[in-house]
Amino acid sequence: MEAQGATVTSQRWTGALGRAVAMAMPLSPWSLRRAGSAGAPALAAGRAGGVKGPGRPAPLLDETLGVVSVPSQWRGVQGIRGETKSCQTASIATAEASAQAQTHADAQIQTETPEPVAVVPVSQHDNPRLVAFLQRVEAMVTRELNKNWQSHAFDGFVVNWTEPQQTVSCLHTLGYPPAQGQGLHVTSISWNATGSVLACAYGRLDDGDWSTLKSYVCTWNLDRRGLNPRQPSVVVEVPSAVMCLAFHPAQPSHIAGGLYSGEVLVWDVSRPEDPLLWRTGLTDDTHTDPVYQVLWLPEPRHSHHFQVLSVATDGKVLLWQGVGAGQLQLSKGFALVVQQLPRSTKVKKPPRGETEVGVTAVAFSSFDPNLFVLGTEGGFPLKCSLAAEVLALTRMPSSVSLRAPVQFTFSPHGGPVYSVSCSPFHRNLFLSAGTDGHVHLYSMLQAQPLTSLQLSQKYLFAVRWSPVRPLVFAAASGEGEVQLFDLQKNSQKPTVSIAQTQDGSPVYCLEFNSQQTQLLAAGDAKGTVKVWQLSTAFTEQGPRETEDLDQLAVEGAT
Amino acid sequence: MIPIRTTLDNSTTVQYAGLLHQLTMKAKSTVRDIDPQNDLTFLRIRSKKHEIMVAPDKEYLLIVIQNPCE
Repeated sequence: MEAQGATVTSQRWTGALGRAVAMAMPLSPWSLRRAGSAGAPALAAGRAGGVKGPGRPAPLLDETLGVVSVPSQWRGVQGIRGETKSCQTASIATAEASAQAQTHADAQIQTETPEPVAVVPVSQHDNPRLVAFLQRVEAMVTRELNKNWQSHAFDGFVVNWTEPQQTVSCLHTLGYPPAQGQGLHVTSISWNATGSVLACAYGRLDDGDWSTLKSYVCTWNLDRRGLNPRQPSVVVEVPSAVMCLAFHPAQPSHIAGGLYSGEVLVWDVSRPEDPLLWRTGLTDDTHTDPVYQVLWLPEPRHSHHFQVLSVATDGKVLLWQGVGAGQLQLSKGFALVVQQLPRSTKVKKPPRGETEVGVTAVAFSSFDPNLFVLGTEGGFPLKCSLAAEVLALTRMPSSVSLRAPVQFTFSPHGGPVYSVSCSPFHRNLFLSAGTDGHVHLYSMLQAQPLTSLQLSQKYLFAVRWSPVRPLVFAAASGEGEVQLFDLQKNSQKPTVSIAQTQDGSPVYCLEFNSQQTQLLAAGDAKGTVKVWQLSTAFTEQGPRETEDLDQLAVEGAT
Repeated sequence: MIPIRTTLDNSTTVQYAGLLHQLTMKAKSTVRDIDPQNDLTFLRIRSKKHEIMVAPDKEYLLIVIQNPCE
């Protein structure tokens, strides 16, 4: 910028933040004070034209414009204040409890014990001959590998080894007439460890009050000839209504049941004269509300011994061990209190005075033996761990201190969750079914469900993953139907919908048979248990199912 | 057959080695029975889930399991 004589020029800078600064460069030094103040409206009155210089023509005159500066409205930067509310990944506390190594002593051996084969490390082996062999075969093997992944020779080539069954058919219709005569419902069914015996529990699921109804546990051996569908092989009379059943995973005749009164009993059905093995009795430790589900869990140290886990609507999850003379003793306990639930999602405030979270369903992960999912009366599934150390803030009396197991709260259903099921093929997926008629597919990693399917206008009572096909699950609805979903074929509608009851009375429970994988049993409100034989489509794994399941876990259903 | 080197876990390796060694011997004897001048050079088994390839030798066996693209 050149000042020619007395020309006044002004320049305008527009700062990055929108401040317009005007600075006039007059000849007289004292007017500098007026211009250049930040934010202040400055009107630098430039004198257009300027003072003429002595006798010199000025063809180009700098035009001075009135300067407008905009006051800055930009406030100072507010630092983002963040605080972690809750962390989903809990710190992993590990401690060596004990070693599992057992000492063996052979009493008597009939056959020669085979030499245990171990993998010999390379350094111990004869290297040059091995290297020569590998050099010989390498070219051939890589050639075949390359040809293979490009080949289309086997596209669409499918071999059928067994006679395919096209439809779902009802194999057996089982019932116990005295129980059906009393109008009892089938509340729970269970297959035993060998897959040949089916047990069912009779009770009532719609009693809102304490009931003194006698109920029955019946078992049928489906592999025996001369199976009479109206006459179970074993009938156990129970003084109170049985709400749930579970067969022992290794002992084919031990069965655990949870009662309406809160007790947990274990029967041995191979002893017809006195089947009761263990009972909890009515002590301070037992549940004060109906037991909704029982499970057998392997003991952490002795994986051949099992303990019984029971969940009830009084908010307690209890682990029982059979000791001595028929007494089930509490070995570990957990209590769920609303105040201790992690606030991953908003949960409705419970009515005043109630602090327990009623638990209605439990499922253990097949990949992590300490991880389990609970379904609650409030409709939100909870992720819990057996290894939790935090004590529960509960005033319930108990011989073993109760701990708070919840690590994560998932987003709720519209009603209580009656059934949860963890996928046996993927470590993060689980299903939950509630009274809002929806089935939600959750991933352990996020609170919102991956996908939600509306299956029924009424309640959904049970949902189970198939033990052989990663993408198949079955659900029992209050409209009397068993619906089978194949997420590979159609993720919106059920692939097969089996009408179990003619008059629409609800189906309360269903279980897949993990030994004979084509069988599915379902029990309904009319007191009948039907064993369905599934078509081959539901029992044979397709080519890319595990990959499809992984993709489903990542992005949700398409 | 003792496994020397593997990328799978021990128990699976031992199972594959034992079973495939027996199958390779059977395949070799089948080929020799049909034509005594012939001999087995390579064995491939294709299953629903993957393809197993066996390169046999007098002393060693190389087993490769491949997941072909669908």
